[in-house]
Amino acid sequence: MGKIKINIPRILITILVIFVSIQAYAANCPIKIGGLAPLSAPGSVTGGEAMREAMLLAERDINAKGGVLGCDIDVVITDTEGLPEKAAAMMQKLITQDGVVAVGGGYHSSVGVASKDVANSRGIPVVFAETWNDTITGDMQKYIFRIAPLSSWASGVIWKFAAQAPGVKSVVIVTENTDYGIPAAEECAKGLSSKGISSVTFGVDIGTQDFAGIVERVKAERPDYTIVLLTGEAGYNYTQQAADAGIGPQDIMFHANQAGLESKAWWENVPDGNLAFMARIGVPETMYNESALKLAADYKANTGKDGIESYALEAYDSIGVIAQAINEAGSTDGDAIVTALENISHDGVLGRIYFPYGSKKSPSEDGKGSEWWHQWPDPAITMVQYQKEGEPSNTMTIVYPEVYKTGDPIYVD
Amino acid sequence: MEYSAIFWWTALWLIFWGVVGSIFTRRVYLRKDLDTSNSILVGAMVGAAFGPIGLVPMWIKTPEISRKLILIPGFVALGIIMLAFALADPENNCVSNGSFVASQITNGLIIGIIYGLMALGLTLIFSILGIVSFSHGEFYMIGGMIVYYSTVVWFPGLHPVIGVLIACLLTFLLGAIFERLFLTPLYDGRIDRPVEYGILITFGLAFTLQYFVQAIGGSNPVKAKRFFDFPRIRLPDKEDPWLIKTSRGNMELFDTVSISNPRFVASVISILVLLGLLYFLYRTWTGKALRAVSQDRDAATIAGINPHHMNMLAFALGGMIAALSGATLVQAFSWLPQVGMIPAMRSFVIVVLGGLGSLPGAFIGGIIIGLVEAAGTGCVPDPQKASSYIPAYGMIVLTLMLLLRPTGLLGRRFASGTHGKL
Amino acid sequence: MNRQQTLWLISILIIVFFIAFPFLYGRKDYDYIMHVCITGFFYAILASSWSMLAGYAGQFSFGHMAFMGLGAYGTALFSHYFYLSPVPTNLCTEFEIGDQYFIIKNAVGVTSSTLDQDCLTKALAVWDGSIQITPMPIWIGIILGALLGGIFGLLIGMLVLRLRAAYLALFTLGFSEILRATISAEIKITRGQAGIELPYLFENGISIFGHEFSKTDKIPPYYVMLFLLLACMAVLAWLAKSRFGLFVRALREDEDAAAALGVNTVRFKIMVFVITSTMAALAGAVQAHYIGIITPNNLMILQMSLVVAMAVIGGLENFAAAAIGAIIIQFLLELLRESFVIGGVEVDMTLWRLVFFGAVLMITLRFYRNGLITPIIEFFTRAHVASETVEKRGFQKTEDVE
Repeated sequence: MGKIKINIPRILITILVIFVSIQAYAANCPIKIGGLAPLSAPGSVTGGEAMREAMLLAERDINAKGGVLGCDIDVVITDTEGLPEKAAAMMQKLITQDGVVAVGGGYHSSVGVASKDVANSRGIPVVFAETWNDTITGDMQKYIFRIAPLSSWASGVIWKFAAQAPGVKSVVIVTENTDYGIPAAEECAKGLSSKGISSVTFGVDIGTQDFAGIVERVKAERPDYTIVLLTGEAGYNYTQQAADAGIGPQDIMFHANQAGLESKAWWENVPDGNLAFMARIGVPETMYNESALKLAADYKANTGKDGIESYALEAYDSIGVIAQAINEAGSTDGDAIVTALENISHDGVLGRIYFPYGSKKSPSEDGKGSEWWHQWPDPAITMVQYQKEGEPSNTMTIVYPEVYKTGDPIYVD
Repeated sequence: MEYSAIFWWTALWLIFWGVVGSIFTRRVYLRKDLDTSNSILVGAMVGAAFGPIGLVPMWIKTPEISRKLILIPGFVALGIIMLAFALADPENNCVSNGSFVASQITNGLIIGIIYGLMALGLTLIFSILGIVSFSHGEFYMIGGMIVYYSTVVWFPGLHPVIGVLIACLLTFLLGAIFERLFLTPLYDGRIDRPVEYGILITFGLAFTLQYFVQAIGGSNPVKAKRFFDFPRIRLPDKEDPWLIKTSRGNMELFDTVSISNPRFVASVISILVLLGLLYFLYRTWTGKALRAVSQDRDAATIAGINPHHMNMLAFALGGMIAALSGATLVQAFSWLPQVGMIPAMRSFVIVVLGGLGSLPGAFIGGIIIGLVEAAGTGCVPDPQKASSYIPAYGMIVLTLMLLLRPTGLLGRRFASGTHGKL
Repeated sequence: MNRQQTLWLISILIIVFFIAFPFLYGRKDYDYIMHVCITGFFYAILASSWSMLAGYAGQFSFGHMAFMGLGAYGTALFSHYFYLSPVPTNLCTEFEIGDQYFIIKNAVGVTSSTLDQDCLTKALAVWDGSIQITPMPIWIGIILGALLGGIFGLLIGMLVLRLRAAYLALFTLGFSEILRATISAEIKITRGQAGIELPYLFENGISIFGHEFSKTDKIPPYYVMLFLLLACMAVLAWLAKSRFGLFVRALREDEDAAAALGVNTVRFKIMVFVITSTMAALAGAVQAHYIGIITPNNLMILQMSLVVAMAVIGGLENFAAAAIGAIIIQFLLELLRESFVIGGVEVDMTLWRLVFFGAVLMITLRFYRNGLITPIIEFFTRAHVASETVEKRGFQKTEDVE
């Protein structure tokens, strides 16, 4: 075995040459916009795939109208896996590797909480689509915007509906122990007790499959109304197992999580899920504007689904609002985009999107909490109910509030 | 808890004397030159149950350790803990609500039978090949997936029972092929550390299978239709069906205990499979050969049994049993590529509890774990946390078992498998 | 130059390369690549210490990620709950220490901004910026986290030393699952799935040789993690070469024989366990400060399987190979994220890369039992000569039996 000769200088030079010769590509077109979505477990994949589809449709529609600043846009979808630490890393990747100028999307609250700091410290504007936790805007960060409803506000609709239902005296809240579920459960409990209604909260781990023990405990509480704050398959599992044990949606009044709006998955996983109530973001399909109708038609054609989910609408608009802001800013500079966003009036599929509070006007001037910072104040939240077995979600009856009502709620007793 | 001090002080008292008993009893027996094999367990049990009043006489008399000496103090200690709990929290459903307790116990038993079956597969593999299969959870997951795909996607309308059979067949083949490809080096001494190799290679299989299914089928939750609907029964009479009342998805016994249809069907299938398995193991030549290999490999070889065939059969059969539990539960739970993880962990707990390599032990262990989990979720007072700790309840039992009697409830002193000493 | 020297030269070159890397690399995705490097070093520490535990000492623990989590949560809780303030808040639990007050923040768990705030936030709102509170130095937290890992390592080590391979694996797996469940369930204290946020390694930035680095700059954490890795490798190398290492290997080969020769097997088992779990905890603590958030999902079995796979593919019985394997695999996994299209079918690499990874793991185990990196190292150390002889002997023996 002979000696191996190694020419150290040559190796070093080679290494140097490799790195120096790689040039940063300086192309300005297409303009890249990031999109966050959970595309693998433990994230909520159903939601993530819907959002990806919507964001890609947004990309297509914007490019069809001539793009932004004379360039096409390229929406770079990134998988957050629903994990905060992954989300922070992915936000970093979007900004430094892909070179995005702004970011849209976002499903899990924890993802929003963890990734917003990364974007904010690098001066990249983010418009969150579906992250409800109040603190995301509550930290009043310069580059962070949101078009999803606030958690406290969405919970308000849920508990107010429960409180006005006939004969409700005791409520059971089943929640996942995450930063979406826990604050929402606490807000519901607080609101209900202000109306003199007692409530018990059951917390579960997100991976839970077998709810038999919990269902028995819930049963022993003899609730008139159940509020389920479980995302994804946990919500399906709980609802069906509760139905098997005789406290499902057809036995007592039952609020299921909005994962139930995915009607194909809902009926497959929860065959006894008729009469469940759900909160839905956005106006009913009958009140859709033209762009929403067109989007819904394209979305249905692409996915084979019965309707378009609210988080898909939000994801679509988060990209749309960013594109318009870049156009109005006339550049891809973060600060310019923020200024444009603070002044924006975007006609999106959800309605007219604008951000009344920000650096020009602090929410406290109107006596509002800091969570209204860079927050779109108008997302409509309605309570809907499946009233026919196997019904698609777009024909669900809207039962609350009065303005949007399409039918009376069916209360079981 | 209203008077939580009562409970915690009692628990502390039990633990203290249990530790004292386990440490000193062994020393006493050792000094007197007696068999110390179960002295730790006996010491802990007697100490926990009777404290110094029980320990001192035992140390003086040093009776021969019998099953009675373990079981009686064991139940006494359990009784004391339960009494302390009842006194500490008299309002708890577990104390005051009889029908709640009955429902929880029924649920625990039913799900315990299914767990037991799954663990049986694991212990079967261990007793023949001497390895712990870390891919057990993925076989479970695949079993469910095959039933879903065959009855809903590929051949809509196919009867689920046929789907279950397809799942059994496919997973049996998968197990056999994997064993032929990856486990054969275990048998001819080419590997210095077979146990570790077994763990790692099955771990790799688990990883690959889980992501493979996810890449192929996506990770949307799916679920098969109910296998059977209950017939409508009202007994003893239509107006007042206190004995038994059924709807399509539910059965109510004595007006108190309700059993959901999918679980009931799954546990019935589990029992049938168990009976079939027992028949196979004890009444057929192949089954007897399988057991012979697990008891004494060399002797079995001399008797004309090809141990290599038995290895393949055992691994395939073990995986198939796990798949079968999954196949019967896919009608009860929503199914994802990740669902195997929790049942796999539970199977590990069960087989160690029952004794690695012991078939009846796995079944008893399954029922115990089913009951412990039911008690845990049912009785822990804080509703916010009770179910978050589900995986921990079994682990506490496991830790106790490993400390007091590492061979498990019914474990053989030296579980053998392929490699003699483990 | 003989092979031994070549190996030295190559190792030095690799180290020099990693030290110089931040200044050589200049592409646009600089920060991202640096992030992948830092995470790679982090996994390298875990994989190499695990290979010491499993490969050298034969203790098949699946709880390595749990120790990592203990370290991370140790420092996270420390920096989350303890502060120093010049004036009392009169809201929190506090003690006077010298002219400062040691403040223990109350645990409020996960809330939204409309719900309860913790006592310190309330106090700060009252002071309205007039008073500066000091967070605890993070190095104390990191040391405490590492100690926590070490203590638990000791306890678990003492508990499982009587158990043999299969039981040990099952028990440690269960331990990490309990820990994960506990952290998820005790939301009040640990913030559960929401994760607990930590200050960055250099929260106030740092100035090195006159250059100011901000808290999000990658260069300072890069060197911290790199030197941590090198330090761990040095300790592991010393362990492997020392008398202690010999004992440890004796343990693996034949525990009973080792015991008969007077090696105190129990003591050594525990020592290996404690050392490697401290390393894991240390790495976890530093990584948590680098990322800025830790969640119980990091303790999931999937993360553990990543470490196991890295060690196995690199080379289970050679910690250096495991470390190199970990860095390479971390890079591959990150770079393989891009999906591609073959014949009109889009292959979603976010998932398929893991399928391939699992397949590589199995094939490595089956056909290249020493891993893919170890043979390269052994080529230079000539250790293969000895092992070949042993293999031959072993082969003959089996032939004799049959």
